[in-house]
Amino acid sequence: MSAVLDLRAVTFAYGGRTALDDVSLALRPGERVALVGHNGAGKSTLMRLITGLLKPSAGSVLVGDWDTRERRPEELATRVGSVFQHADQQLFARTVREDVAFGPRAIGVAAGEVAARVARALGALGLDAVSEEHPYDLPPPWRKLAAFAGALALEPTLLVLDEPTAGLDRLARRRVAAALTERAAQGTALLVITHDLDFAAATLDRGLVLDHGRLVRDAALAELLALGEGLETLGLAAPPLSRLSTALALPGHPIRAQEVASALASVAARNRVS
Amino acid sequence: MTARLTLHAVTYHYPASPAPALTNVSLEVPSGAVTALIGNVGAGASTLLLVAGDLAPRVMGGELTGSVERAGRAALLLPTPWTQVSGMAFTVHDEVAFGPANLGWPRERISASVERALTRVDVAHLRDRDPATLSGGELQRVIFAGILAMEPEVLLLDEPTAELDPLAARRVWELIRSLAAGGMAVIVATNDIDALPDVADRVVWLESGTIRAQGPAAQVLVDRGLAADDAPGSTAVAAVWRAAGLGEPPPLTVSQAVERLR
Repeated sequence: MSAVLDLRAVTFAYGGRTALDDVSLALRPGERVALVGHNGAGKSTLMRLITGLLKPSAGSVLVGDWDTRERRPEELATRVGSVFQHADQQLFARTVREDVAFGPRAIGVAAGEVAARVARALGALGLDAVSEEHPYDLPPPWRKLAAFAGALALEPTLLVLDEPTAGLDRLARRRVAAALTERAAQGTALLVITHDLDFAAATLDRGLVLDHGRLVRDAALAELLALGEGLETLGLAAPPLSRLSTALALPGHPIRAQEVASALASVAARNRVS
Repeated sequence: MTARLTLHAVTYHYPASPAPALTNVSLEVPSGAVTALIGNVGAGASTLLLVAGDLAPRVMGGELTGSVERAGRAALLLPTPWTQVSGMAFTVHDEVAFGPANLGWPRERISASVERALTRVDVAHLRDRDPATLSGGELQRVIFAGILAMEPEVLLLDEPTAELDPLAARRVWELIRSLAAGGMAVIVATNDIDALPDVADRVVWLESGTIRAQGPAAQVLVDRGLAADDAPGSTAVAAVWRAAGLGEPPPLTVSQAVERLR
């Protein structure tokens, strides 16, 4: 299957400061990819290149068969849904429902279908109760959810999200995870910038690591998480369950809650701990 | 320890909002300690910080009943640093100096305070950068430095690690501990429950604008109610400990779990 996103030797510099250096990668339909790395590693710059807000200094960014140099951002938006870090400020309509409907309407989706997509997106993120409120009457994390609902309603071939769980409570984090999983099952490729490795482990399966503008790792996420302390050199910290697995030398180094709990139960039975 | 901030039976309505955002909240915040506010989005943690910082109702409008007593200057870090940048400084150094300059301090005091803050928050290397070119995480720490430069006695932090990578987040938590050790009263609203056993002295659990539980961190964090589907969650270690059917109360951290299994 052809790539949804194809970066070929992409370099980008802000004035004299190189933010991305010779980055190549490709995403297939339905792939679920985490993009991780230090603050300032170039993650948000990569996102701006994919959405066409920036054009590469060298190399090329292809969204399907479109070169971003030859397309305007609003054209690219018919294929790429995006939620930026400052998404709480990317809303402008008078109600949450209107804001979510803007995207699909603008790319020419028929009215009846727009209403259905908006209802699905609001429901998936638990925003039904606030759909008639003014976006700026909501707390910032919910505004970000509303922006996310707008991106979902585009039903794009590629979704790029910058820290979609930042500041969210556990219930909302679960809703975001479920909505992303569902969208990927429909064929949308996901590229998610996140520091939340618990969320990533549960939702995504491939990990890209940026360090000082270079792509230094491209591997299965489970493989990255098993690095344990080695994650620190990549600007990441092992989640608590991964550290627990290491500290107790649990067999198979489990990282998901259920597997850790059963490994823990057998260790405790062996030590006869109550 | 003296109370730096006391809320007594506070009920607060935002303007034109029929339901109160806080209902009958009473709370004492001591100096030299970290008080953590936990709760779902909309539970009232951010509103409580606005009230504590004298922004609600004074700036936000709305209506408050009950009483709020403050002993000392409070400063608030918002969860959205890009809305808190002055927009009037072309370097990080000047951005950090903006707050103290507005307090009318003499030049020498401003300069000393700015240097101290830049170093403490680990952004001294960014001093000549234009704030508009910083990443989200870098900007969050610069705004934090600007707040520290005003030398507040009560530090109010709303999701101070939301934009940070895990290592930067860990450094901020360590900084918060050391500020409290230096005598500051710190209130921090966070969803990072796993950070709290090592950071918080007290935990206040808010639910729909009321206090569901408050007390020493070790006591509140083992509350079984935290694990309910619509609650903020317990620590990851406590959750797997209980899922494994092991004894109460559960350990909260990796090192406590290792200790218990020894």
